[in-house]
Amino acid sequence: MPSTQTPPIAGTAIDPPSLRPPIDDALIERVAPSELLARLTALKAEGYSMLLDLGAVDYLGRTPRFDVVYHLLKMPTAAASVAHVGTPTRLRVLCGVEDGEHLPTAMTLWPSADWAEREVFDLYGIVFDGHADLRRIQMPHDWEGYPLRKDYALRGPARERAPRPAFALKSNVQAGIPPTGRTLEALQEQIKNAGDAE
Amino acid sequence: MSTTPLTPEIVSQEGNSMVLSMGPQHPSTHGVLQIMLEIEGETVVTAEPEIGYLHTGIEKNCENLFWSQVQTNVERMDYLAPSSNALCYVLAVEKLLGISDRIPERAQAIRVLQAELTRIASHCVQLGTHAIDLGAISVFFYCFDLRENILDLQEAAGGARMHPNYLRVGGLNGDLPDGYVARLDALIEKFPGRMKDLRGLLQANPIFQDRTIDVGYLSPEDAIAWNVTGPSLRGSGIAYDVRKAFPYSGYEQYQFDIPTRTECDAYARFLVRLDEMEESMRIVEQARKRLDQAGPVAIDDPKIFAPPKETIALSMEALIHHFKIVSEGFRVPPGDVYQSVEGPRGELGYYIVSNGENKPYRLRTRPASLYNLQALKRMAPGNLIADLVVQIGSLDPVFGEVDR
Repeated sequence: MPSTQTPPIAGTAIDPPSLRPPIDDALIERVAPSELLARLTALKAEGYSMLLDLGAVDYLGRTPRFDVVYHLLKMPTAAASVAHVGTPTRLRVLCGVEDGEHLPTAMTLWPSADWAEREVFDLYGIVFDGHADLRRIQMPHDWEGYPLRKDYALRGPARERAPRPAFALKSNVQAGIPPTGRTLEALQEQIKNAGDAE
Repeated sequence: MSTTPLTPEIVSQEGNSMVLSMGPQHPSTHGVLQIMLEIEGETVVTAEPEIGYLHTGIEKNCENLFWSQVQTNVERMDYLAPSSNALCYVLAVEKLLGISDRIPERAQAIRVLQAELTRIASHCVQLGTHAIDLGAISVFFYCFDLRENILDLQEAAGGARMHPNYLRVGGLNGDLPDGYVARLDALIEKFPGRMKDLRGLLQANPIFQDRTIDVGYLSPEDAIAWNVTGPSLRGSGIAYDVRKAFPYSGYEQYQFDIPTRTECDAYARFLVRLDEMEESMRIVEQARKRLDQAGPVAIDDPKIFAPPKETIALSMEALIHHFKIVSEGFRVPPGDVYQSVEGPRGELGYYIVSNGENKPYRLRTRPASLYNLQALKRMAPGNLIADLVVQIGSLDPVFGEVDR
C-alpha cells in the first residue's frame, strides 16, 4: 500500500567512529557478525562483566545497513567501595548487519541482553539467533513493520481508515434533523407509544 | 521460557501450576505493567513482565525534532526526574559540539542543584508509594509534602512543576529568580526534620521490616549480570555510581559518599535510598554555597545559544541569530557519543549519533528502569505473590522510561 507520507530524509550515510577520534571516554571496536560471539565471549572473560546497553542504528544507504551497538563496562563483580570500582573501562562494540542478516544472541553471556535484543528486533527487525523468547516487546504483537527504521515514516504507513462517524450536517441542523435521522417528534412519539402499550 | 507468550488461563499443567495475569491495571505496579505469573499455590514459578503499554515512540520522535526541541521530549521519559534526563541529554550534545569545557561555573552548580533536588523528589515518590503498597498510608503524605516543596522550586526555576525544561544545550534557560535562594534555604532547614520523620515512620517499623527484610534477594553477581544499576545495585553491595566513576558537571568537586548495603534485599534498597537522599542534600548545600557568586549561566556563543531576548530590539545580529536558532536550530558536527549520568534509578545514558544536521540522527536511551525491572525475572521465582509487590516497589520502575 502506498504511503501517504514521504519517508523522512535519511540524511547522508555516515560511519561515526571512522569520522574522527572518539569524543567520549569509551574504547571503540568494530566486529564482523561472524566473529561477534567469539569476541564478546573473550571480552566477558577479560572482565567486561556488564552489558550496559544494547541498541541499534539504521544507516539507510550504507552497506551494511545497520549497526548493532554493545556498550560494555569492565566492572569487578565484588566492589564494595568507590575506590574499588575506580574508573571502570567502557567499551563500545559496533557490529554492522545487513537487512535480513542474523546475529547470535548475547543472552548466554549476559542475561540482561534479553529485553534489549527483543527491543532491537521489535523496532529494527534484526533477528538474534538462539534468543529464547524473541517476540515484540514495545509494539503490539500484531504490528507490521519496524518503526525505528529510517524508511518508516514518522506517523507510520497509510492504513485503512475507519469510516468517520456521522456528524450533523448544517442543513440537517437547520431542519432540526439529527444525523441519525430520528427527529425529536419521532422520539416523543415512540416514548408515548411505549407508555400507551404499558 | 518458551517462544509462545504465556496466556492467562487456569489450567493445570504439570503439578499444580497455573498462569495468572497480574496487571496491567494493578494498583501496585505503579503504572501499566502486566506480569504473566506461573504460580504453584502462592509461590511464583516464573514471572514474565509484559511491557510496552506506554510506548509512545519518543526515540523516533526525537529523530524528527531540532536538537533544542528534543530536550522537551526526553524530560517526558522519566517523568519523576526530568532534570536528570535533561542534564544527560545536554551533556551528550555539548560533547558532540565540543563545548563541554566552556559551560560557566554557575550554570554547572545550578545543574547539579537541579539534578540532586530531582533525585530527592523522585525518591520521595518511591518511598511514599512503596509504603502505601505495604499499607503505611501516612508516609505518603510526608513524602509528598517534601516533594511539593521541591516542585515549587522547580516551578520557580523553570516555570513548570513536573517538566521544568530549565536546562539548555550550552547552559540554562535563565538565571534563578529573585527569592529562590531564600526558599532553597528554607527547604534545607526543613529537610533533616522531615527525614527524621520518614525514618521514624518506616525504618524501625516492625511491619515494614517484616515485609521487606530478606524479600527480593538479588546477589551482587546477579545484579551485575542483569545490568541493575542505581540504588538497587548499591543495595547489593556494589559501590558503582556514575557520579564517582565518570564525574560530570563538576561532581568531583563535591564532598559526598556513596551509601551501600550488603543485605541485598528490599530493606537494604530502602535504606540506601534514605541515605542517598541525605547525601543529595549534602550536595545541594554545597551547590547552594556556590550560588553566592554571580556569573553568566550560558555560554556566549550565539550560533548555539540564542542571545538574550532584550538585545533583539537593539542589535541586528542578535535578531538574526534568534531567527536562525528558532527557525532551523543549530547544527551538530557528525559523530557518536555515549553519555551517562546517575539518575535516581541508576545509570541513565544517551547514545547519540549525529550526521551533521540540525536534528539527531539517532538517540538511543539506556533506560535504567527497563534493566532494573528485567531483574524481576531473576528475583521473583520462588517467592510469594504478596512479595512481588514489594519487589516491584523496591526496584522503582517508571514506565515512561521503561516503554518510552
